[in-house]
Amino acid sequence: MSTTVAAPPAVRLESVTKTYGKGANAVRALRSVSVDIPRGSFTAVMGPSGSGKSTFLHCAAGLDHPTSGSVRLGDTELAGMSETALTKLRRTRVGFVFQSFNLVPALTVTENVTLPFRLAGQKADKEWTAEVLRRVGLEQRAGHRPSELSGGQQQRVAVARALVTRPEVVFGDEPTGALDTVTAKEILNLLRATVDAMGQTVVMVTHDPVAASYADTVLFLADGDIVEAMSSPTADKVAERMTHLGAWS
Amino acid sequence: MLGLALRTLRSRLSGFVGAFVALLCAAAMVTACGILLDTGLRGTVPPQRYAGTPIIVAGDQEVHWTTSKDKGDGEVKEKTKSKPLTERAWIPADLAAKVAAVPGVAAVRTEVTFPATVIGAPGDGESWGHGFESAPLTPYALATGAEPKTGEVVLDAHSGAKTGDTVRVLTADGVGEYKVSGITATALDGQSSVFFSTDEAARLARAGQLTAIGVVPAPGTDTGALADAVRAALTGTPGKVYTGDDRGRLEFVDADAARVKLISMGGAIGGSALLVAILVVVGTFALSMQQRHREIALLRAIGATPRQMRSLIGREALLVGATAAPLGALAGIGLGVWLGSRFRDLGVLPEALDLVISPFPPIVAALATLLAAFVAARVSARGVIRVRPTEALSESGSAAPRVGVARILAGLLAVAGGVVLLIVLSGLRTEPAAGPVTFLTAIVWVVALSLLGPLLARAVAFLLTPVLSVLLRAGGYLAAKTARAQARRMASVITPLGLLVGMTATILFVPTTMGDAAADDLRAGTLASYTVAGHVPSSTAEAIRAVPGVTAATESLTTTVRVGQDKYRAQGLSAQNLTLTVDPGVVDGSFSLDGDHAAISSLAADQRGLSVGDKFTVTMGDGVHVELTVSAIYSRHLGFGDLLLPYPVVAAHVDTPLASTVLVSGTADAAALRAAAGPGLAVLNGAETADARDAAASANAEVQLIAMGLIIAFAAIAAVNTLAMATADRARELALLRLIGTTRRQVLLMLRTETAVAVVLAAIVGTGIALATLTAFASGMTGAARPGFELGTYAVIVGGAAALAWIATVLPGRVALRRQ
Ligand SMILES: Nc1ncnc2c1ncn2[C@@H]1O[C@H](COP(=O)(O)OP(=O)(O)OP(=O)(O)O)[C@@H](O)[C@H]1O
Ligand SMILES: [Mg+2]
Repeated sequence: MSTTVAAPPAVRLESVTKTYGKGANAVRALRSVSVDIPRGSFTAVMGPSGSGKSTFLHCAAGLDHPTSGSVRLGDTELAGMSETALTKLRRTRVGFVFQSFNLVPALTVTENVTLPFRLAGQKADKEWTAEVLRRVGLEQRAGHRPSELSGGQQQRVAVARALVTRPEVVFGDEPTGALDTVTAKEILNLLRATVDAMGQTVVMVTHDPVAASYADTVLFLADGDIVEAMSSPTADKVAERMTHLGAWS
Repeated sequence: MLGLALRTLRSRLSGFVGAFVALLCAAAMVTACGILLDTGLRGTVPPQRYAGTPIIVAGDQEVHWTTSKDKGDGEVKEKTKSKPLTERAWIPADLAAKVAAVPGVAAVRTEVTFPATVIGAPGDGESWGHGFESAPLTPYALATGAEPKTGEVVLDAHSGAKTGDTVRVLTADGVGEYKVSGITATALDGQSSVFFSTDEAARLARAGQLTAIGVVPAPGTDTGALADAVRAALTGTPGKVYTGDDRGRLEFVDADAARVKLISMGGAIGGSALLVAILVVVGTFALSMQQRHREIALLRAIGATPRQMRSLIGREALLVGATAAPLGALAGIGLGVWLGSRFRDLGVLPEALDLVISPFPPIVAALATLLAAFVAARVSARGVIRVRPTEALSESGSAAPRVGVARILAGLLAVAGGVVLLIVLSGLRTEPAAGPVTFLTAIVWVVALSLLGPLLARAVAFLLTPVLSVLLRAGGYLAAKTARAQARRMASVITPLGLLVGMTATILFVPTTMGDAAADDLRAGTLASYTVAGHVPSSTAEAIRAVPGVTAATESLTTTVRVGQDKYRAQGLSAQNLTLTVDPGVVDGSFSLDGDHAAISSLAADQRGLSVGDKFTVTMGDGVHVELTVSAIYSRHLGFGDLLLPYPVVAAHVDTPLASTVLVSGTADAAALRAAAGPGLAVLNGAETADARDAAASANAEVQLIAMGLIIAFAAIAAVNTLAMATADRARELALLRLIGTTRRQVLLMLRTETAVAVVLAAIVGTGIALATLTAFASGMTGAARPGFELGTYAVIVGGAAALAWIATVLPGRVALRRQ
């Protein structure tokens, strides 16, 4: 008889709380959140404004220390790690796509994409970099500066940078928030493709039910708590749930 | 990392222009000051009069003293200090025989030196008389004529006289007529020589004394060995052996004093420049750091450790420094040469002392600047560590960061330092000590301002919001609100403006503070109605005394002496009817300069622990000790110097024993006095005397101003720099304001109001700093806490700062608005 030890989830949060400020001004942004993000899944995080989505992402990605609770990235416990250790972990094990201002204006597309290697003092894998750029459709633009690219193209560079280190999880905070619907679709398809074709784990915060419908699972946050996890979401179902949460009343 | 630093640098050039300009200026100023310092330390004075004689025996041109310090463990450490004399030291004439007896000496040539001016001769330098026997020291050879006999002189090639002419020569003995017996083939630069017969020269110089003995070595004698032999023969006598360039230092006694002045001035200005540079560069770096907040947050988020960020910023700074420093150092050489020529015009740098231009000052300046850039970057990078990576994700841009505890502590420390310096300064009573401390005090207060600026800006904006909103409506409301939210940016603008106002006022009003106090003393203490100015021999003074209606004519001569180790400005005054011309403000004793009586200022009396009736020893300018008795203690030392000595005592120990002024009381009129004084002397009434004094004072102030003016220019550049940088960066914010319906006029009004708030704040703080510093300076130096603020000059300072600020904000603001 053989026992299979289940591989740990990509990210596991256990009773994570986050409180900003002290005393009378304290804001409880997360109240005891526990959740597993399985490997190779595409997870969307939704909720009304101020419900704690960004805070959730920051804590899960090692950008910020939770007030209490445990955050594990694979086998690594993030709680209690030093700032420098967290930074080094972010370099290679986590990828980020922000809503805007993702790129260093002074650097070209290739240089921006390989920046995490440079910061880690490693040589960039040339072939893989070229491959990632090809996948995001920017192989022709490798030598351009961010200011010479459209908003959608800039977001694709950010996706390429997030993928280039083959991270365990790619986090996005409204990565399509600043784009028009057509361009947003391209980015969402790109993210979906990395999950399907490369087995990448993606966690994305979004306001848009259509964007959320690209995910495998949608987590709904309200007042710093996960109130529901919806599988096989559709835009309509998500929109209805959101209305229910009072996001659009 | 270096590559990344280079990249960010290149794409954000505008952000670094400020730091670049500041570092460039700093390197240039430090180089220029370094050249002055180097000249003071290593400048050589090539011999002129003694150029033709390898070994010269003369008096010791330094005073020495030993200080012993008990180091606690029973061991006593002895240290010998030497300071240059201010007048020529003389030696006994009998040393000549001693020197001549040394084997290897072929001949000795003795020399005496005394003032002798051919009246009406060309040439603006000094003119010295000698006996003709010392002509070979240079060597001077006769071009025409013969050596002088009694009643005759030989003049040099520049004199314009011919053999057979009759000339009138002014010496301490009065004006005499001489026949020109010959003209020399050559002449010296910047000094004229008049040769008398040996007997006549001995009569006009100090009896039984010489200024130098020239040693002519026997053929084939080694000069070095001979110098040693002469030195050995002279042990135990006042004679000292001079060879090589030391002969030049012997000849030009004032070059040593000028050296000391160059060293202290070069050090003070260079040091201030470097401090101001660090302050300015920290400011511009901090500002560019604020502008790059999001980029820094992004880099932190995707994996740059705080250490990497610090090193990135450090390297950017080094790159900026590495470009700015060599360029600035190079420009500094030109600046140094210019400063040197200005100083030469103003008499600070003597003709004889050549400017030393070596690679050291530019190299040291470049390295110091590089270090300053690095320190500045390190200091401003402190804030970077606090940038949270999560800020890269937030859309609202950077919120106003809280003012850190460390910054507040450092600010309070600077305030404490400033207070301590103020207290120290108010206790300093001599100019060499008070000068540098004054500028340091002002700088430390500006440092405090730069650290606590954000708190100040926030507090003021909070108070101003309601006022400005009512007065200026939307524009004022926006200005006050942004000033509050962007307290740091406001502070980074206030600091250089405050520096500009504070430093300029301090620099400009130090001389007026001193000058006003000295003028007050003189006005109160001068009882004479006329002053005869020029080189006045005793015989002429007698002639003035004989003019009907003259009740007193006091000859006056200034010199520098030491009592113990302290140096004092002293004045020799003739004793007869002295109290009719001079009232030094006697506080104790009765004022008399008869015999060995001397008066001493209360400041010097305190320092030396002297009281009326005490005997004390004065080391005269030529190194001779004279014992005197304190007859009175007086208070008006700023106008009269610290010691009032009997005129004959001073005249016996200075190079030029002629009165520089004669103070005349009585009812005689100017025409009668002019007739008695003869040609070449000016007769001035009270107002004219004050004007002449003011002119002399402003020449002195000009030296200060030229040097310190560099720092003022630097502060102005820094202010413009920072303001332009701060405004240019706000294009996005201004565009947003326009989008949401703010009119162009409202936006410009907002910018102008912000600038006005900054200027007013900076003026208040800068004025406060200058007032506090000058008050402390005044209470130490003049005994009265009265800073010499001139309202007209002050208005120009504040107006200038406001104009600069206005140009540096509104112009970039208009450009930013047009670009949309
Ligand atoms: N740095 C902070 N300091 C204090 N409170 C904060 C801070 N960041 C977030 N908060 C508060 O925590 C709560 C959650 O904020 P969070 O940014 O996670 O919301 P969100 O769901 O991402 O909102 P949105 O959809 O508007 O981006 C909010 O009430 C917010 O005001
Ligand atoms: Mg958010």
